[in-house]
Amino acid sequence: MSTIEINDVAKTFGDVTAVAPLDLKVGDGEFLTLLGPSGCGKTTLMRMIAGITLPDRGSIKIAGRDVAALPPERRNVGLVFQSYALFPHMTVGANVGFGLKMRRVSKAETTERVRAALALVDLEPLAARFPRELSGGQQQRVALARAIVIEPDVLLLDEPLSNLDAKLREHLREDLRVLQQRLRVTAIYVTHDQAEAMALADRIIVMRAGKVVEEGAPVALYRAPRTRFAAEFLGQTNVIEITTSGTLPWGDAVRAPAGAVVSIRPEDVILRPDEQGAGRVLGLSFQGATVEYRVDLGGTEVRARDTGTGAPILPEGTTVAVRLNAEPHRLSDAPVRRLVSVP
Amino acid sequence: MIRRLPHGLVATLLVLPAGGYLALFFGLPLVLALLGSFGIYTRGDDGGFTLRHYADLFGTQAYRDGLMFSSYLAIVPTVVSLAISLPLAVALGQTFPGRRLFNALYKVPLVVPGIVAAFIVMTLFDRGGMAARVLAPFGLDLPKLVRDDWAIGVVIATAWKAVPFMTLIIGGSLGSIPKDVLSAARTLGAGPWAVFLRIKLPLALPGITAAFLLTFIGGMGSFAVPNLLGPVYPLPLSVHMYVNAFERNNWGLVAAMGTVLSLISVAVLLLYYRATRSLRSAYGGEHR
Repeated sequence: MSTIEINDVAKTFGDVTAVAPLDLKVGDGEFLTLLGPSGCGKTTLMRMIAGITLPDRGSIKIAGRDVAALPPERRNVGLVFQSYALFPHMTVGANVGFGLKMRRVSKAETTERVRAALALVDLEPLAARFPRELSGGQQQRVALARAIVIEPDVLLLDEPLSNLDAKLREHLREDLRVLQQRLRVTAIYVTHDQAEAMALADRIIVMRAGKVVEEGAPVALYRAPRTRFAAEFLGQTNVIEITTSGTLPWGDAVRAPAGAVVSIRPEDVILRPDEQGAGRVLGLSFQGATVEYRVDLGGTEVRARDTGTGAPILPEGTTVAVRLNAEPHRLSDAPVRRLVSVP
Repeated sequence: MIRRLPHGLVATLLVLPAGGYLALFFGLPLVLALLGSFGIYTRGDDGGFTLRHYADLFGTQAYRDGLMFSSYLAIVPTVVSLAISLPLAVALGQTFPGRRLFNALYKVPLVVPGIVAAFIVMTLFDRGGMAARVLAPFGLDLPKLVRDDWAIGVVIATAWKAVPFMTLIIGGSLGSIPKDVLSAARTLGAGPWAVFLRIKLPLALPGITAAFLLTFIGGMGSFAVPNLLGPVYPLPLSVHMYVNAFERNNWGLVAAMGTVLSLISVAVLLLYYRATRSLRSAYGGEHR
């Protein structure tokens, strides 16, 4: 059982609160993602779990054992860095074997486990190379092999893919998920990339300014966020205030009281050319698989997304009718902001 | 119409400013010293090729001992300085109260000329010096530290100068190791000591050997400090060079001595390149 239990952990650097007191539980074999903008405390939280940063207070339990007072080398945690942090003076094989050497594992067993770990990330033939002779993606896989070969209680991943190009990132993302499920290792993944978070995680924790804003499974968090911050951080959305007459700004009825704030995902806004329609296309951006529209709807600018229906492109200035594919989702924290009106 | 110059000529012209400078100010003096040591183009006497000066150097007991003593003055103060500098550089990489003050203070000897350092050591540690006077009321007596057989005074003065210098270089080289690399080693199970031995030390080795080498070469040719604080016998080769040049006008022997000192330094330099080659290639500076 490799659970993580964090109680009342906090960290400040000088005047800056990196992590406000927070509690967190991660289940055995769970893939948890900490998602938030840079400086939200997600990396600090992860470094405290690894033991690189010491918390100001609180307890951290890994597999039921309180590790808050233990140095990193005694926590049995695998950590993958954004910078890879490979040892430049060691071969790939020696990098991966380092943790086993420190654990005084026999030579024969080390050789076998290093081979198996490298095979797992498809790098077996490169064991004798030096890190600088490898591409970024290969280096990242070495870092991953090095972290999992020690059979850690938890695998911590600090934005491991953000230094790679988009295509490779997507490819490695899938590999990573498959690997984690195969090993059944408890994993915490830190990222600011919402697509990465949703693709990988069993559960996402959205953080801002050292605090947990909201948490939930990717689908629930995307479709039914409680907070405006989570709604806007996970993908794009239209945040719209209900008019005093209890309708959407363009007159459509809605199941929400006047003054409430709702979120409507762009892909749920369906446009159809209609001379009598309430909307007018302000601009569009063709992106291959999708077409993004900006539409003026009753003085409110709304984003709409055609997700590959094959419908004809609606040029700028087209008068359109609007249908919503899903009931607007009411945000319960509802910070009312003056909405930009279209001239 | 522009006439094209031959490729080889263009390359030669381009290399000339830098290459010519090196040849004129570094190559030529070395070649002249080498030739002079064989009696060719020697100041004051021009008897043609001879091995007389080398025979003189290696055949005279005082000069043989002088060569040994020069090597001693290169090795011992450098080893002593390294033994102090390395832990100091590591300590300065940590955070502790008063670090900034200490960081400024330890560099003071860098701005004090060597000859001044020698006089400081002399006033402190010579017979009847300050240290002796402070200790005398307690019935304590200092061993002979100035003009003693083991040149301890020279070692103290040289190390006093060399420690901040070496610490600065080694500290810079330790500081350039990415923090994540050290953290990664810790999470993989390496304690602070193992991180030092297996990560910091090998990655800082180019800096450590560079600091060692520069101090070593300085000690090899040191003149003022051993002249002031060193024993009466043996004298380092540098002092013999001075005496032979300006009191005996024996420039051929001076050139031979200079050549031997330079060869030893070059040999150490080559060892340095050997020792750090694999590391430099690991850093990506050179390809195998």
